[in-house]
Amino acid sequence: MKNILYSVKRNSFILLSALTIGGLAACSEDFLDVEPEGEPVGADFFVTPEHAILAVNSIYGNLREWNVIAFAHLAITTITSDNAAKGSVPGDAGFLDEYDNFTITPTEGQLNGYWNGQYQAINLTNQVLTNVPLINMDETLKQRLLAEAKFFRAYHYFNLVRTFGGVPLRLAVPVVGEQEDPSTLNLPRSSSEEVYAQIVKDLTEAAAVLPPTYPTAERGRATQGAALGMLAKVQLYQRNWQQVVDLANQVEGLGYRLVDDYYSIFRIAGEHNAESIFEIEAQTIPGNCPASNSQWAEVQGVRGQFGWGFVEPTEDLVNAYEEGDERLDATILFRGETTPEGDLINPNAPNPRYNQKAYVPGFVTNECGYAKDQNVRILRFAEVLLMRAEASNELGDTQQALADLNRVRVRAGLDPIESATQEELRNLIWHERRVELALENGDRFFDLVRQGRAAEVLQAQGKQFQAGKNELMPIPQQQIILSGGTLTQNPGY
Amino acid sequence: MKRKFLLLVMCLLTFHLSFAQNTITVQGRVTDAETGQPLIGAGVVVQGTTTGAQTDADGNYTLSAPADGTLTFNYLGYKATSVPINNRTSINVQMETDAATLQEVVVTGYGVQEKRDVTGSIASVKSEELVRQASQNPVSSLQGKVAGVNITNTGQPGASPQIRIRGTGSALGSADPLYVVDGTFVDNLSFLNPADIESIEILKDASSAAIYGVRAANGVVLVTTKRGRSGEATVNYNGFVGVQRVTNQLEMTNAREYAQLVNEKNGSELITTNLPSTDWYDQILRTAMIHNHQVSASGGTEKVTYSASAGYLNQEGIIEGNDYRRITARLQTDFQINENIKVGYNGIFYDYKSNDIPGDIFYQAYVAPPVIPVFKANGRYGDPVDFPVGNFANPQASLDWFNQESRGQRLTGNAFAEVNFLQNFTFRTSLGLNYGIDEYRNYRSRDSLTTVQFASRSLLTQQRSKTNMWLWENTLTYDKTFGDHDLTVLLGTSAQEDKSNFLTGFANDVEFNSDANLYLDLGDPETVRIEAGGNRATFVSYFGRVNYSFLDRYLLTATLRYDASSKFPRGERWEYFPSIGLGWRVIEEDFMSNQNIFDNLKLRASWGRLGNNNVPSNIFILRVATDERFGAIRNGVLYPGWNINTTTPSTLFWEVVEEFDAGLEMGFLDNRLTVEADWYNRKTKDAIFGVTPLGYLGLGGQILGNYATFRNRGMELIANWNHDISQDFSYSIGANFSRNKNEVTDVAIENATFYNGNLPVGGYQVSVTRVGDPIGSFFGYEVEGIFQNEQEIENSAQPGASPGDFRFRDQDGNNVIDERDKRIIGNPNPGFTYGINTSFRFRSFDLQIDIQGVADVDVYNGNRNVRYGNENYDKDFYDNRWTGPGTSNSYPSADLTGRNLDPSDYYVEKGDYIRIRNLQLGYNLPESVVSTLKMRNLRVYINAQNPVTWFKYNGFSPEVGGAPVSQGIDRNVYPLSATYNFGVNATF
Repeated sequence: MKNILYSVKRNSFILLSALTIGGLAACSEDFLDVEPEGEPVGADFFVTPEHAILAVNSIYGNLREWNVIAFAHLAITTITSDNAAKGSVPGDAGFLDEYDNFTITPTEGQLNGYWNGQYQAINLTNQVLTNVPLINMDETLKQRLLAEAKFFRAYHYFNLVRTFGGVPLRLAVPVVGEQEDPSTLNLPRSSSEEVYAQIVKDLTEAAAVLPPTYPTAERGRATQGAALGMLAKVQLYQRNWQQVVDLANQVEGLGYRLVDDYYSIFRIAGEHNAESIFEIEAQTIPGNCPASNSQWAEVQGVRGQFGWGFVEPTEDLVNAYEEGDERLDATILFRGETTPEGDLINPNAPNPRYNQKAYVPGFVTNECGYAKDQNVRILRFAEVLLMRAEASNELGDTQQALADLNRVRVRAGLDPIESATQEELRNLIWHERRVELALENGDRFFDLVRQGRAAEVLQAQGKQFQAGKNELMPIPQQQIILSGGTLTQNPGY
Repeated sequence: MKRKFLLLVMCLLTFHLSFAQNTITVQGRVTDAETGQPLIGAGVVVQGTTTGAQTDADGNYTLSAPADGTLTFNYLGYKATSVPINNRTSINVQMETDAATLQEVVVTGYGVQEKRDVTGSIASVKSEELVRQASQNPVSSLQGKVAGVNITNTGQPGASPQIRIRGTGSALGSADPLYVVDGTFVDNLSFLNPADIESIEILKDASSAAIYGVRAANGVVLVTTKRGRSGEATVNYNGFVGVQRVTNQLEMTNAREYAQLVNEKNGSELITTNLPSTDWYDQILRTAMIHNHQVSASGGTEKVTYSASAGYLNQEGIIEGNDYRRITARLQTDFQINENIKVGYNGIFYDYKSNDIPGDIFYQAYVAPPVIPVFKANGRYGDPVDFPVGNFANPQASLDWFNQESRGQRLTGNAFAEVNFLQNFTFRTSLGLNYGIDEYRNYRSRDSLTTVQFASRSLLTQQRSKTNMWLWENTLTYDKTFGDHDLTVLLGTSAQEDKSNFLTGFANDVEFNSDANLYLDLGDPETVRIEAGGNRATFVSYFGRVNYSFLDRYLLTATLRYDASSKFPRGERWEYFPSIGLGWRVIEEDFMSNQNIFDNLKLRASWGRLGNNNVPSNIFILRVATDERFGAIRNGVLYPGWNINTTTPSTLFWEVVEEFDAGLEMGFLDNRLTVEADWYNRKTKDAIFGVTPLGYLGLGGQILGNYATFRNRGMELIANWNHDISQDFSYSIGANFSRNKNEVTDVAIENATFYNGNLPVGGYQVSVTRVGDPIGSFFGYEVEGIFQNEQEIENSAQPGASPGDFRFRDQDGNNVIDERDKRIIGNPNPGFTYGINTSFRFRSFDLQIDIQGVADVDVYNGNRNVRYGNENYDKDFYDNRWTGPGTSNSYPSADLTGRNLDPSDYYVEKGDYIRIRNLQLGYNLPESVVSTLKMRNLRVYINAQNPVTWFKYNGFSPEVGGAPVSQGIDRNVYPLSATYNFGVNATF
């Protein structure tokens, strides 16, 4: 049958050719080669130095993404902790209660969002790290851009490894124009040690290249201090105390210092002050709300007055502040209070307390929504001091530990600690870490796990934290399904 | 004799010149030679002149003619007759049916064919059917009329319904069929006034559709608009005015019930139960007006025929502030230049304007707590912040604040030239064009309506998009009869370019004084921003078809199309699409001459391959993402960010549909009863499918590739009964019934399950596509019951549960409820669709009753399932919920959080419905009245469309639709409303 048809076709072809008039000459393969309209083609990308810069820019832009910085981030890092409860009104975004109560199951949606968000960021860094080396461009600039990408690859893997433990370690993407080997398309989880090793490698390499500062116009790029400070934190998690001290010393050598007014750190005018080491840039771009998209502060804003009212600081956190600690008022916004900027916080707001580090005064524009101008403070020098204090204490260098601890305390209006045993000092430093960094960048839950006291502290808060299980979040069920079982679940889930 | 190829209506006129010497008035009556019934609208022309007339409702005509002239009588399906006048003033003519036709002519691709010669499955709906529907969209009019065609209607004015021919034929995109209007390919039919349509043909099987090769995988809908005929001009007016009202309004809880539920959920008295109540549906819904008018004129001479029309539709939506206005105009002219050359054109103009509503307004009204008042005592909008319930938009504020107007124009046209040569050859070249502009303007004023609905700066958004398509086709037809052999050969070429682009501008702070101020350049220049994009695709095709019949008994249709599309890479873009159809008209056999059971008996079988071009352009080309959100901010300045966050499939080739169809056509009792049955097996091979990639690849969306193969298998049965009992009374009853079963037969990735159908809260995906199950099946837990007490929970696989929670079936018995316990819990692919269409005529009255329905289909109640917090509940839930041990074993407690929101069969409901689609009573005014009004015919009618729909589903409408891989998930649809009209059909 087919043969008959095909021979009919051949004959018809001759006739058809006779039929075609003039214009059908256009009906060649060229007529059928159509370039995508209004979209640059991948094959033409990663060719010029400008492309390298554009690709690195998108790593920064991606930091503001909902999945990376909003609900999922706050749920996993902060609502889990003893610093904050879900907030808002009962039932609103009730799934976040699962983080408050540690009833999280693998299908809870924020998990998958967080996983995808971090890996989408890692893909952007891998795009740069694979393709930019092939671009013919100024070598110094190229090396710096690659170092920036390494910094962020490490940053995002650090978020993943803290949250999930070992995860698939993807470090390269196909060069544009090449296809991927399908066998590499279903990576199993690497061990957390392997992930940490890669993070250390990336940060070390980044720190060697990144400049200590940038011109004002470039403010916000990852610096050498950011890489060193982040590396110090990574080493802290791995209890490599000496490295922590060495790295903190290097950071200090770059000229960072504590600013006098703790409250000012978290205001827009305090962005990139002398203490700031790394911040996620957020800004209302007039007329461009799609780019003014950081919702980190919006979801935490005073409910009904400014924002959504999630992440309600706990009573326990309030009580953690010593008498006279200036940081209490700078960290927690009480309903009914009047802020230094003159906003009266609605006395009838549904929650007694809100995160003041996410507070943006009412006079700042909300044309793209509340608080699109609030940078997220990721790393500041005070934390570096506390890391060095903790590591020094573990190494037995009480003097250094006390000195660093007291720099932070005194700035907060507290008396210095004169002396303490190693055990006492350890607890004091941990406590100081909590009150200094509360509700800021989401370290509290991971600190408790790292310090080996998550069960003790969180159970005391009435949470259903199970030791041996809840130290890690479950791997998102959807990812296990998509992997056909190659990805394995964490114990207990 | 079948000779009417390529044109639906063709003038069979000769060109004798006659010189008028003595003009007389001739009158007479034209009737059917067999039945004596008058033939209405038959053409009468004085040979060799442009003088002509058409017969009226009684078959009468009058015209002036030379006493020695000749009259030619034409009527579709009858033999043309010429009668010399010979000084007579009264000439009655009995016309004989054209022996070789069974009256019905169907349009096939690039030609027409008598129904009896068709070897495939083609459904034909004629204008008489369409005009009786009082529908505003031609596709919508087809609902319930055609076996194998499932239409999901929407109530939104101006919107196009979703249509599926013989099940879901492809996975990606709309799975809509190809629409061909007078030979021009278009995307939808919303630009057409149903009254302008002569017929709609639906090419259902692959052999009929294969002539459209690459476009035809989801079937083809051919639309032929009306063309003029030579004869006296006819002017028609059709109009109606009516009201629309929503039916089956969903009952939600009132303030007391809602407060009760929220308090139960939170275990404390959050809200008092004595607050005033708002029914948000009542608040936003209204009784809406509709009126529609169309005037048409047609006529012509031997050499020039024309048809022109103008239509006006004004339809209010059932939501406050929503309305739609459509103007349609059409002009068609054919010129017979000489004996052998004919040229013509057809232009359809469409202009619309609509005042839009927020796309999610039905969702807003569903979720908005009834405790929020529309307005507060101080006149401000009711605000969710006054109640501890969460952030909800005040739907009334949304409507009042929303200011969006859409408008557009479209010109769809076609010009052709046709040359007959060497007696049997016809060459035709045709150029189709489709040029459209769509615009919208949205102005969000600076305002503070509630704490969640505010804007500190105004925002003006303006978009203009343009579509531009040309299609050039050439065909050569050879038509000849050799003794008992009838042969028609068609060869053709086709080239097409389809282009579109859009430009969107944004600006803040445009001051509003009137709509005339809404220009982007009047805003803050710093905020002006532009988005733009486009799409282009090209196609080249060669095609041919052979129709052969022997002894009028043995029929063969074979087609071949060789197609290329720019949507596929070089090397993969050319493909052959062959088909063959065989028919046997058993009734013509000698051995049938002695039986008196059958008046028609025909068997047919066909096979064909089709392609699916309905995939996005450029999916094989890696592209760069340039979204604004990737821009880096440094020192307050935005620097654009670009990256590659997608991937391309390693190979991409044509998705191919292969279909086998077998059919049986029968006629009994003088063909008063006709029965047609079809069985088909339609296989979509290597369907282009979107697959969610592993998250660690960090890609932004789905990977598209040839990932799945699936099958639609089913049968269709059509029975029609027509009976003219007497001059006074006749009636007809038609029923159509179709069964379709969809099954995925293969996936490219071994044992893979493809997930779709995102439900936002939990990030659940509720639709799966996997081997052995229908495409887009619902997937989740089976609810065994409700936990009544703590003890039941202790002994269960759900230790974290609370009383009142769902108890899911532990399918694998491992005492853990996880993914392995999920099962297929529903099928959104309709199993049965049916329609019953009846009409009765008694003297001057006519009555039409149409019923239509869908059965064996599931809907996923996404409204119930998607809960962020304290959304409103439906009343059915309130009435049946669990409130304590023993109160319910199927409905959970009000605490719909956590695992209660995991996809489960609780949320799957039957989507079956049956509807009175159309009820129409008409009355033809007596001739005495009509003639004093100087009319030929005047009919008035009352009509109720969709007055009643029966279903059990706990939602507004079970007609949900959706993309093939995630269909049937109800997240609120614009429901169809009941329309009550009064209308007039007048002929002058």
